[in-house]
Amino acid sequence: MSVKLDANIPEGPIEQKWDKHRFSMKLVNPANKRKYQVIVVGTGLAGASASASLAELGYNVKTFCIHDSPRRAHSIAAQGGINAAKNYPNDGDSIYRLFYDTVKGGDFRAREANVYRLAQISNLIIDQCVAQGVPFAREYGGLLDNRSFGGAQVSRTFYARGQTGQQLLLGAYSAMMRQVGLGKVKLFPRREMLDLVLVDGKARGITVRNLTTGEIESHAADAVVLATGGYGNVYFLSTNAMKSNVTAAWRCHKKGAFFANPCFTQIHPTCIPRSGDYQSKLTLMSESLRNDGRVWVPKNKGDARPPQQIPEEDRDYYLERVYPSFGNLVPRDVASRQAKFRVDEGRGVGPTEEAVYLDFGDSIRRLGQKAIEAKYGNLFQMYEKITGENPYEVPMRIFPAVHYTMGGLWVDYNLQSSVPGLHVLGEANFSDHGANRLGASALMQGLADGYFIIPYTLGNYLAGQDLVKVDESHQAFKDSQQEVRAKTDKFFSIQGSKSVDEFHRELGQLMWNFVGMSRNAHGLEEVQNRIAGVREEFWQNLKMTGQRDYRNDELEKAGRVADFLEMGELMAKDALERRESCGGHFREEYQTPENEALRDDDKFCHVAAYEYQSQDSHKMAWQRHQEELSFEYVKLTTRSYK
Amino acid sequence: MAGTAGKALNLKLKVWRQAGPDKEGRFVEYEARNISSDASFLEMLDVINVDLVKSGQEPIEFDHDCREGICGSCSMVINGSPHGPDRGTATCQLHMRRFRDGETIVIEPFRAKAFPIVKDLAVDRSAFDRIMQVGGFISVNTGNAPDANSLPVPKENADMAFAAATCIGCGACVAACKNASASLFVSAKLAHLALLPQGQAEREQRTLSMVAQMDEEGFGACTNTGACSAACPKEIDLENIARMNRDYFKASLRERSEKS
Amino acid sequence: MAAKSSYLTSTIGQKQIVALSGLSLSLFVLAHMLGNLLIFVSPEAYNLYGHALTSTPLIYVAELGLVTLFGLHVLIAVNLTVKNSVARPNKYAVAAEGAKATSWVQKSLFIQGLVILVFVILHLITFKFGQVYEVTYDGTTVRDLHRLVVEVFQEPGYVVWYFIAMVVLGLHLSHGVSSVLQTFGAAHPRLTPVFKKVGLAYAAIVSIGFVALPIYFYFIY
Repeated sequence: MSVKLDANIPEGPIEQKWDKHRFSMKLVNPANKRKYQVIVVGTGLAGASASASLAELGYNVKTFCIHDSPRRAHSIAAQGGINAAKNYPNDGDSIYRLFYDTVKGGDFRAREANVYRLAQISNLIIDQCVAQGVPFAREYGGLLDNRSFGGAQVSRTFYARGQTGQQLLLGAYSAMMRQVGLGKVKLFPRREMLDLVLVDGKARGITVRNLTTGEIESHAADAVVLATGGYGNVYFLSTNAMKSNVTAAWRCHKKGAFFANPCFTQIHPTCIPRSGDYQSKLTLMSESLRNDGRVWVPKNKGDARPPQQIPEEDRDYYLERVYPSFGNLVPRDVASRQAKFRVDEGRGVGPTEEAVYLDFGDSIRRLGQKAIEAKYGNLFQMYEKITGENPYEVPMRIFPAVHYTMGGLWVDYNLQSSVPGLHVLGEANFSDHGANRLGASALMQGLADGYFIIPYTLGNYLAGQDLVKVDESHQAFKDSQQEVRAKTDKFFSIQGSKSVDEFHRELGQLMWNFVGMSRNAHGLEEVQNRIAGVREEFWQNLKMTGQRDYRNDELEKAGRVADFLEMGELMAKDALERRESCGGHFREEYQTPENEALRDDDKFCHVAAYEYQSQDSHKMAWQRHQEELSFEYVKLTTRSYK
Repeated sequence: MAGTAGKALNLKLKVWRQAGPDKEGRFVEYEARNISSDASFLEMLDVINVDLVKSGQEPIEFDHDCREGICGSCSMVINGSPHGPDRGTATCQLHMRRFRDGETIVIEPFRAKAFPIVKDLAVDRSAFDRIMQVGGFISVNTGNAPDANSLPVPKENADMAFAAATCIGCGACVAACKNASASLFVSAKLAHLALLPQGQAEREQRTLSMVAQMDEEGFGACTNTGACSAACPKEIDLENIARMNRDYFKASLRERSEKS
Repeated sequence: MAAKSSYLTSTIGQKQIVALSGLSLSLFVLAHMLGNLLIFVSPEAYNLYGHALTSTPLIYVAELGLVTLFGLHVLIAVNLTVKNSVARPNKYAVAAEGAKATSWVQKSLFIQGLVILVFVILHLITFKFGQVYEVTYDGTTVRDLHRLVVEVFQEPGYVVWYFIAMVVLGLHLSHGVSSVLQTFGAAHPRLTPVFKKVGLAYAAIVSIGFVALPIYFYFIY
């Protein structure tokens, strides 16, 4: 039978849980902190902020990143903004409202206590970032500006034109680089984590490949903090960067860390549609565009007129029609699904007919082109570079694309996984977004985890342990290296005929078709076998070239795709077993007459956490565990944005 | 399925291949056939690479990641221009519709002593991180911050600081400069913090440290040619270099002999 | 740890010394050019001006100052050029064209400097240490530089060389004068373009002023 997962949620009223917990947690005395070695994997918002904050406290930190510079982690690409409950615009926002909106936006599949803490911390993040010199947009009076995002009726999003992610990351990166200069953080760029090393059942180190020299290295520590992002690239085409991958998390999963809600993926509604088979990735256009852009399709199927020639009466502004109170600002899952419905009805536009219009005509007429340019100039420019069309004149064509994964390694309230000593932050964990993440909340969560949660909870873990001294000469590290080397050798020994990318594309196509915006039992059953089939072929017919002991992009990709080929199966399995629709997980069998997601709170008001069990030649096995969710503050209701 | 609105191009590529930092490099010619004009430049290279892999050859190594012009990974010089012919564009945002059918494209790595070649078109830009770690920050520990709105910043300054902070650290400025000077990068980093009230306390020391590290890394001097700004995918302004020069002059005058 | 900074060895510090010495030399060449134009007033005005300059003891201070400035400008520029070529050891196979190209004027600053250096040496040999003619005005005997100038500028080879050197000087000044504010940190979105134009005009005036002499004496006189 399944184990009962204990989330270690503190007792007491929700407003006091975090404060009480901070008081009750054990502390590491300042002089002792320098005796501890902590490993942080990943240098996005979560990893960089954690590295900086832990080093500031006095811990010795080793930080690993896959890029040549930590500043390139994919948090950099977040565009729109970061939420906080500052209520600067005086429009009725509060910590409670941010908490409420996030729980509701997540379709009641997130932990209330975690979300409340996130909302509490949100304000501190803005303070911290401003002090670091993050150049947020400001009003003429010199104070911070806010804008609105999907799923909220208040303006609580802080932004830095279209590159909030880069500016926040540069803030966290600079804080971390300061510690690198001070010698408290030792930085290891171009390293890929390939294994978690356990000693006595606790996370005590990692095995990495130096992506430049090809060397396999061991690094020991007293605790490991994983901040390696999401797994959206399982779909091949996504808005994730090319290097974004699940490998570090997946190897932890195979070492005992439970994987929670893997089927919860977010399909972002405003991406640039794909144009051909050579396509390597999809590009997101910030959700903030929906503040001023209106989404529509022609009323009539097959209306081939250019958009400017389609008169108002022949346009269907379907989001405004179906959801009059939220209009174009409905949450992402709702907007994406609606776009899919229109395309499925045969009313899609553009050469592929897999797109809808996002039209700024009205806003340009109302506010003037200058105003629109000031708000979205760089996004419009980006769109024009990619498509060759001028969005000031022709409506943008957009279509949903995989963007974010709410699922991730299971963690308790302290962000500790089911493996003692392994803590997971940011997109890599499953914690705060439930079945759908609201816009501008990913940056908030990554920084909350890194700046304000892990510095406390990691101390609590370390102070409560009696850790034996372990270094890289321990047998566990040697075994791990052996295992990693064997896998690399295997890639080179296959000598097949298909490139890594071809397998990845095949997997991506299956995932998009069967585990994408809408799913059904039949498809989910079938796709598990088909993924297993691709995986089997991968291990028999992969073509590997280049060197083992020097930089080799193909080898890097092969390791990642091998893990995606396992991950995809788990996602399909989870999607099949969750016999309800919620947030980004839409099961065709479970919908209201108006095609809205139909939850089953009696049977599925829980987190599904998978324990990896075994793998014979082509069959993988997992044990499904459940963490029950209770909603004491936000009443379980049907989400409505009408 | 996918529509192919773009037209097909056939191109000749001359690509710099080099096995490692100390190895001899040379140009190798490749044919790129049937490339859609809607494909991005890197997608064109992807297509070539799949063919190379399948024929058992080593693919062309190049740095890339976000492919939307923000991570600053991509780093090649296309027909003599870093990031290709267009202003305000990173290589990953360059699309093949910019090229003519039958054209020959010469692709080289960024060339600078401070950016040693790792392999083929990939170079080591860790010098930038070392410059950042000596001063590219505001020293504020987590939890020390006052309320975000307690210190108003004039919008104009905030906008200028933002414009400097848009630098993506790609190094095209170094690649474009005949002296391989990193002045635009360093000055953008300095300007971002120098224009904000939060950055004032450490302004002089920051300038001295980062400039010293810039020289230490072996970048050349600025000759005010403006090639850096022309090549910059974020079109960072030369005004930042002027500000750095001024601050450096001032800080040098005021510097006390014993530094803390 | 941070590398130790020293203004005099830093690229920015050295660049500023080159700029400052260059700016001073630019003022000198302007004054020199204006003095030359006295030759169009009358041979007497020209010769007396030359005499006035050389007969004051301050001339030695001025000459020492000029030599120092010139020496500093050349030596530090050479030093920077060496640093720069070390920083960029390998050239690109093809040069950038269009929006990202660097102009040949800026690429050839160092060569321009060499041309000017050679010119200055030859110029001093020809005029300062050249043939001494004398002429007497109101009982004062002064050097007849006018006659020397007229003679020298009858030689077609010298005229061509002088012309080329002055065009090169103009190019050199056009870069230097218009970027000196940038080097010292005064840049402004409205004023910088204006100053660029002022620099170009300055260079053009100096250049045209100098070549006016050989052209006049070779073709018209």
